[in-house]
Amino acid sequence: MRPLSRVALVCSGVAALLAATAAAQDPRLDRLTPEARAPVATLLDSARTAGLPVEPLLQRALEGTTKRAAPELVVAAVRRLAADLGRARSALGFRASPAELAAGAAALRAGAPAEVLVALRRSRPNPLTVPLAVLTDLVASGVPVDSATAAVLALATRARDADLVEFRRAVERDIALGASPGAAVSTDAIGFLGPSAISVPGPHGHQSSQPTRP
Amino acid sequence: MFEDRQDIVERIVSHLRRPARIDAALDERVMQAIATLPRPGGGRGARAVWRWLARPRAFAVSPLGALALAAGLAAVALVLPGRRASAPPTEEVGRQLPFVVIAPHAVRVSLVGDFNDWDAARTPMRRLGRGSAVWTTVVPLAPGRYRYAFLADGSRWLADPAAPVARDDEFGPPSSVVTVGGS
Repeated sequence: MRPLSRVALVCSGVAALLAATAAAQDPRLDRLTPEARAPVATLLDSARTAGLPVEPLLQRALEGTTKRAAPELVVAAVRRLAADLGRARSALGFRASPAELAAGAAALRAGAPAEVLVALRRSRPNPLTVPLAVLTDLVASGVPVDSATAAVLALATRARDADLVEFRRAVERDIALGASPGAAVSTDAIGFLGPSAISVPGPHGHQSSQPTRP
Repeated sequence: MFEDRQDIVERIVSHLRRPARIDAALDERVMQAIATLPRPGGGRGARAVWRWLARPRAFAVSPLGALALAAGLAAVALVLPGRRASAPPTEEVGRQLPFVVIAPHAVRVSLVGDFNDWDAARTPMRRLGRGSAVWTTVVPLAPGRYRYAFLADGSRWLADPAAPVARDDEFGPPSSVVTVGGS
């Protein structure tokens, strides 16, 4: 083969590879601002290479764009979520589903320790998406992290997803009625599992044994 | 002496020229013997094919031909993602989830979230009745955790008062969270 033809072949191969890469890029990225598009695409590629789910990252970028957030905010949020997904994967293992990883990332962001994710993985054979989401939502409702963690760990071993969601609703209802978040989670956990089945740290860190409905 | 030898030679030649008697079953025996021999192809043939396939070759291609090849590869790459993207996004539908919001002064309200690419045009909400302030829609959702919000008149963001608030709200306007269980 002549050298010129070889160079042409290599160049055309590289061109084809670049074209294929560009074509494989998600068309939804076109909705991002020009300033955010390239950095977000790079983050998505890195996540894909690391075996992390890309869809939650793209959805976060689309959320920021639809809410007209500044491009640097969008990129920072996607970068932060990618890091959280990586931490969630380290805790939940490589077999974790994308939904579990997304829920785990949210739980970590809410303040749940990574050890809780590991313990949940050990204690529950079923998918962890709902227990992790309930944990996150409880913390978002003002329940102290250790109380929420203890309750979810106790419930996760035996409760169905629907029971966990109902538990979260009960806690939020009690909080809305005036109970302190820590007391609400203790009371409702005991209501779901019985007094002997759980020892949830009370709102001030000590164990709660008595129902404290408002 | 020479004549004697010549005579012997002629007798030998004439003896050899006589037609030989061949057993009628000879052909069959020969074919049977051949059938028992190992086939000449088999492993050696496969090895030869593999060597032929694995042997490096130098080939010449014109720049025009290489560009045509690259264009073909790019066309294939363009077609494949397009086919993947055309698949319905809600294949593994878990539940039909109703969403409700009260927006008395809104002219139009949309539901936007992780389940519709945060696209305000995808899930418009309907008034519960004529002049009603209650807007509703139903969305099929697979098990998972989704962030969402309501968008009134294309500019006003509303969180769902009946759902947990998304804690990591980095973009200003609030979002809510819905969790769809699988068991």
